[in-house]
Order: sequence, then C-alpha cells, then structure tokens
Amino acid sequence: MTLAFFSSRSLRTGVVVVTSLVLAGLGLRVVEAPAWEVVRSRQPSLRLESVKDALGQGVTVGLLGGFRAILADLFWIRTNYVWEKYDLPATQTSIKLVTAIDPRSPYFWLNGSRMIAYDMPNWRIDKAGGYDKVPDSVKRHFDEEQSAVAIRYLNEAFGFHPDSPMIRLEIANIYLNRLKDTETAATYYRRAAEHPDAPYYAARIYAELLRKMNRNAEAYDYLKQLYPKLPKEDLQASAQTVLGRIHELEDELSLPADQRFKP
Amino acid sequence: MSAVSVPFSFSRLALIASNTFLEAVRQRLFNFLLLLAVGLVASAQFFRDFNFGSSELKFIADFGFGALVFFGSALTITTTAQLFFSEIENRTALTLLAKPIWRAEFVFGKFVGVFAVIGVFCALTIGLMMALLWHREGQLMTIDPEAFASGRIVRYGDLFIVGVLQWLKFGVLSSIVLLIATFSNSNLYTVVTGFFALVICHLQYLARDSWSNVDNLMLRVLVQVLGLIFPNFQLFNLGDEIGQGAALDPLLAGRVAVYAVVYIAVIGGLAVYSFRNREI
Amino acid sequence: MNTPVPAISIKGLTKDFAVTLRGVKLRAVDDLSLTVEEGHVFGLLGPNGSGKSTTIKVILGLLGATAGDVRVFGVPSHEVESRRNVGYLPEAPYFYRYLSGYELVRFYARVCGVPRKQLQARVKDVVDWVGLSKAADRRVGTYSKGMLQRIGLAQALVHDPKLIVLDEPTAGVDPVGTAEMCELILKLKQQGKTVLITSHLLAQIEDVCDRVAILDHGKLIVEGSLQELVGQRDRQALIVDSLPPADIEALRGWLVSRGHALNAIEQPRARLDQLFLSKVSRGGHAGASGGVGSNVVPKSSAPNTSAPVAASPKPKA
Ligand SMILES: Nc1ncnc2c1ncn2[C@@H]1O[C@H](COP(=O)(O)OP(=O)(O)OP(=O)(O)O)[C@@H](O)[C@H]1O
Ligand SMILES: [Mg+2]
Repeated sequence: MTLAFFSSRSLRTGVVVVTSLVLAGLGLRVVEAPAWEVVRSRQPSLRLESVKDALGQGVTVGLLGGFRAILADLFWIRTNYVWEKYDLPATQTSIKLVTAIDPRSPYFWLNGSRMIAYDMPNWRIDKAGGYDKVPDSVKRHFDEEQSAVAIRYLNEAFGFHPDSPMIRLEIANIYLNRLKDTETAATYYRRAAEHPDAPYYAARIYAELLRKMNRNAEAYDYLKQLYPKLPKEDLQASAQTVLGRIHELEDELSLPADQRFKP
Repeated sequence: MSAVSVPFSFSRLALIASNTFLEAVRQRLFNFLLLLAVGLVASAQFFRDFNFGSSELKFIADFGFGALVFFGSALTITTTAQLFFSEIENRTALTLLAKPIWRAEFVFGKFVGVFAVIGVFCALTIGLMMALLWHREGQLMTIDPEAFASGRIVRYGDLFIVGVLQWLKFGVLSSIVLLIATFSNSNLYTVVTGFFALVICHLQYLARDSWSNVDNLMLRVLVQVLGLIFPNFQLFNLGDEIGQGAALDPLLAGRVAVYAVVYIAVIGGLAVYSFRNREI
Repeated sequence: MNTPVPAISIKGLTKDFAVTLRGVKLRAVDDLSLTVEEGHVFGLLGPNGSGKSTTIKVILGLLGATAGDVRVFGVPSHEVESRRNVGYLPEAPYFYRYLSGYELVRFYARVCGVPRKQLQARVKDVVDWVGLSKAADRRVGTYSKGMLQRIGLAQALVHDPKLIVLDEPTAGVDPVGTAEMCELILKLKQQGKTVLITSHLLAQIEDVCDRVAILDHGKLIVEGSLQELVGQRDRQALIVDSLPPADIEALRGWLVSRGHALNAIEQPRARLDQLFLSKVSRGGHAGASGGVGSNVVPKSSAPNTSAPVAASPKPKA
C-alpha cells in the first residue's frame, strides 16, 4: 500500500515540482542575492520586543510582511488624535511606537520630538495649575525633563539616520530654545552644517551663536572659510548676508584695512 | 500522420487569455475598483486635515502602495483560482480541452488572461495614485515653496517602475496559485493554500535570516530548503521610500524583474507539467 | 492505405479511478474493445454508471487510459492531433455564461482554427442549423436545457469535424426537441459524418443508430447492428381496420390453410411521444427559432428527411 502510494503519479509530480523549485531558487540566487542585500539594508530590522506588546499578532505579521510604512502612517494618525487630547503618556508611547514600526521616515522623528519637547511641557504646566500659578522653577523643571526625553529620542534616530543634519539641527534647536544651552547648541549646529545636505542656515546660526558667546574671532574665521563655498546665485545660501556679517565682525574686531576679507 | 501536426499556437493561447479576461470583465470584477478608487481619494482628502506638510505625499504614496499590495494580492489569488475553477467546475474545460488544443495553451492562456486582469488593476491603482500625488504636490508647492525648492519631490518614473514590479510579483503569485489549482480539487482549497503560500513567500526571509542560528542540523536544512522553494516576495518591497523622494536603482529594479520573470516561467511550466495528466 | 482507418478503434480499454487515497480503485471501464467505422451512427448504451461517459472521455483524451489502446482515425487519443476532426457535446453541457450564443460558437470556431474568412458564415450556418438563430444574441447563461444542448451541438459542429461524439444529447430535452435532435443526427449521417451517441432513451437510439453496443459495469455485453440485435425477421405486424370476431376467425383459418400462424391480436396504441408531438406545435417551441427540424438547411445540399418518429405505430409482439 505504501509502495503503491510512493509510485503514484501525484507523488512523482510533487517530487518534480519541489526539485524544480529548489533548483530554480538556487539558480536565481545569482540575481536575488545582490538585490536582496540592497533591499534588506533599506529595511532596518524590527525591534519586535518593543512593538509586539503594543500590537496584536495580526498587525505584527503585517509588519513583517511588508506593510510597515502604512502601519506607521496609521499609528502616526493615531498619535495625532491623542496629541489633540493632550494625553501625554499616550502620545509619548504612540510616538515611540511609530518609529519602532518604521524608523525610516525622518518626518516621524522630527515631529515626534517636537511634540515631546515643545508641546508636552505646556500640557504639564496646564495640568499643574496653569502658567500663572506654577512657579518658574517648576516650569524650568518640566522643560528640562521633556527636553531630555526628546533628545534621547532623537539620539535613537541616529541609529537609522547616522549623519542626518536635520536631526542634529532638531537637537540643536532644543538645546538653544528650551534649555538655553548656547554652547551645546552651537556644537550641534556646527556638526549639522558639516553635512553636504545641510541647510545653509545651520552654518549662519552657528556663527551667530559664536558671536553671542563673544567668540568673535572664531566666528570671523568660520565665516571667512564658509563664504567661498556658498553658491552666489542661490538665494537660500544668502552669500550677501554672510559677507555683510563678515564685514560687521571686522568692524567689531577693528581689523586694519589691509587684513580685511576680500572675496 | 505525425504527432506534431497540431503545433503549439500562440493565437489559441491568446484566444483563451482574452476569453478569460472577458469573463472577468463581464462578471463585473472591475466594479470593486471603483470602491478602491473612492477609498484612495477619500484617504488622500483625509490627510489634508493633519498639516503634514510635504510629508502628506508620503502618506498618499504609502496608502496607495498599501492598497495596491493588499488588494492586489487578494485579487490575484481569488481571480486566478476563480477563473481556473470556473472552467473545471462548470465543465467548460471539458468542451475546450476536447478541441485540438495543447494543455499548455490552456494553462498559459489562463495565466495571461489573469495577468492582464491584474495588469489593469495595477495600472488603474498606480495611475490614480500618481494623479493624486501630482495634483496634491502641485498644491503643496504653492503653499510651501521652500519644501519644494528643488522641484517636485515624488519620482513619478520610479513610481511607475515599482508598479510594474508589483505587477510582476502578482504574476509570480498567480502562477503559484495556478500550480496549486492544477492539483487541487476545489476553489476554496486553492484560495486558502494560495494565501498560505503568499504569507510564506512574504515571511520566508525571516527564516532565512535566522537559519544560521538554528542548532539542529535537520531544522537548518529544512529552513534552507523552504527558503529555496518559495520565492522571496520581500524583494519587491521597493515602494516604501518612493513617496519621500528616494531614487530607485535601475540595476536593482532589473534584477528584481528578472527574478520575477524567471519564476513565472518556471512555475508556469510546472503548472503545465502538473496539469498535463489531470483528469477532467 | 487499402483498409480504411476506423473512426474510432478501442482495444482492451481499461479505466480505473482512484477513489481513496489508500489506492482503492474503481474500475469504470473493463477491457473494452470496440470499432466505429467511418460513416456510421453508433449508439453506446448502458445503465447509469456503466462507463459510457468515461469511455467517451478517454476517446477525447480528457482522461488517460489505465490500459489499452484508443485511436481516433488512427491517431492515439492522448495526442492533440487526434482531436482535430472531432466534435464533442458533453453530457449536461454548460458553457461560458457570459458569452452570447454567437460569441460562444465563434470562440470555439477560432479555437478549432476555422479560417477567419469563413468564420462569420460558418458560425451563422451552424447556429441556424441547430435552430437557435433567434436566441443567438442572448447570453448563454439565460438558455434553457434544450437550448444548451443545441448550442452545444453547434459548437461541436462548427469546424466541420468528421466524427461527432454526443454524450446524452437529449437528456433533459422535451420530445419535440428530442425528435429534432434525432433528425439532426440523421442529417449528419447523410453528410457522411460518423456519430457516436450515448443515451438511455432506447427508442431514440433505435431510430437513428446503425450499430449499438451495450455496456454494463464497464464491460461490453453485446455489440452489433440494429438488425442483428432486435430485428425479428420471422415475424411481421399488419395493421388493419377493426375486424369483427367472425372475420378474425376467417382470417386465422385462411392463414392456417396457407401454413402461417396468427400469433397475436392487439389494439395498437400511439406512443405517448407521438401524441405529444402531434399536439405541441413546433413553431411555438420556447426560445428556439420557429420551423426547427422540418426545414433546417444543412450545410451540404442533403435532402430533408421526414421525421423518423412519424413512422407507424408498433404493435406489441
Ligand atoms: N472522476 C471520477 N472519479 C471517480 N469515479 C468516477 C469518475 N468518473 C466516473 N466515475 C465512476 O465511473 C463509473 C462510470 O461512470 P460514467 O460517468 O462513465 O457512467 P455513465 O455510463 O456515463 O453513466 P450515466 O448514464 O449516469 O451518465 C461510475 O461508477 C462513476 O461513479
Ligand atoms: Mg454519462
């Protein structure tokens, strides 16, 4: 009986099918392997532990099956809903969930960190009794705590966008605007400006901060080496403004005419 | 009289394919596309409420691709099974195969017909998506010119190529379902097995990625073999970043296309082989 | 070639179906040998499940033979070539619902490689010939059982095959339709076609077949010409006016005196189907075009035959 089964036509067909598929799979590795390497590298591995509890089994499978982008979008929309309700814990978890699902879009990192650093301190102040009642020290404490969370969050983003100027700028903004830490902010602006894709204003802000910290000579040197690299025809680059700054600094540093910058 | 005096005929193949396509059309299969279109337009409208800025385009693209992949897979599996089994279950295959035609003409004719149906689906979905993106991008460019300082963000050419690759992927899926159908006895069984195959094809990379961690030798071999038997559908997952302006490497696209076409040929051939002796 | 190739030759055909996964087999056809000569109308009879349809499917290459050799015009039946000159009407046919009658026949004509130039005329001819021209623009999905049989016959004939295989062409068809179907078959015979037909309705078979074979449990029970099998050459029936008993006695005496015998006296009765046929008008046949049967125009100029069912009533022996 077993013999009859083994000699049956359907079994033979099955063997042929499986063998052919394995051979095809082996043969196709030539084109698949290099392509897969590229595709794989574009898909950061999922930190399943961080999302499995928050999502159901079905959603997790969808994630693994290639619906990451759209699932992240859906959770981002959810984030917006809880954000509108000033629900701090929910918003914070939801923000982190979105980037855990799909860390590839800088948009999520940047906007998530803004919610954490800029909106949430206000929510906490409101909850503690409002602007008039809460003492400044407590307000300051809220700012520091939320900024720390946001900066930690943005640092995580470097794992996926190692030298993204936009994320450096975002961190710099938090140091500058929230923590009033000009020194650290300046470092981040400088490093952001080093990236070829950085917006032109990063370098200008860095120089401005140097000036603010009374490091005019440093600012002057920095701008002098910056100016030749700026495309003169691009309005965004504001080469003219930079030149103006250079001259202002020369005045402030009272440089003699023959040492002045001549473009 | 020699056996080769009825040669394999592409015109008969085309005839069977066009009849299959016609069946899909006359069964109003494409009506559901209208729903899909309404859904896509509505979701695009919905995103406007959030002030996503230029990232709104990412959302439109993601949802478009999500719909394409999800509904495309479902459509591929069900129509392949349905259009194949309608011939068997309605016994029209009896009449057709009693004519002087090759079984290979029948199987590939069915495939080409289904592939055309899916092609129309892909073309309409991608076309609609492009139209939505183009329209909205134009609006956003006037609202926020700075974000579009260097022109349009979305690469429409790449979008089109990704659409074609998805279509090819559905072709592979369709040939898999057809292969299952040739030895299966029912539509339902074929659809269910087809969905399992789809899930395995999408997830086989997980097993392959972790196979080196498996200690048990038997299990290790098994995992390797599974990874070889099933095509890797994750390879076609190229659309995720198009909405954000990432470029598609033509060499990569070419490799993926070759991968799909070879699989279609191999699995289609196996479907013919398996169907050759099927008792009608 | 001196000896003509038979239209169908079956030698030692056995067909087993695996009915369980464990390999239990059902023998549907058992060592069947048959020859159908070209130009004959051959009836394949047998009770339900006796293997008629199975045999036909093997002839058409739809099923593979477990053992034996089946040839159509000399070509083994598993080769595509063997089907070139065959038209087939399956039992309880069912066609693409979404096509109209014309589209359906056209589709099959193209599958069979009817040249494009002749396509239109050929399709129209054959649809007219089966009497469906009025319904041919309707979707096949709306057809009645009888109309399906007709359109099925049309698709079987559209490429002008030499052999036509009809599996229960009259199942589910009313007596009018049945009579018409029989007429069509006789016309095919006149055109020199070979016809293989299965049926349970023995009366029809009797009316149209040259030879019959009877299957039971997949085995051939008898095979031969109708004359050989059912002709009673030593008897005759006379039909006369109603005679009074005295005349009957006189007649009997006269017969005895000449060495004959009067074996039976019966009241002849019209067959119910004839009654039906005489009461139901043909022109009013639902869905089909009017005038089917008596004035169909076959593609060749074969003369019309009168309906065979119009023959005289048969006394019971
Ligand atoms: N695909 C199949 N699988 C298993 N058994 C089958 C199959 N087809 C037919 N049979 C069996 O083979 C036998 C012969 O069937 P077949 O259809 O040839 O009978 P038939 O003479 O045409 O009967 P009917 O007059 O009812 O049409 C039956 O017992 C049937 O159950
Ligand atoms: Mg039968």
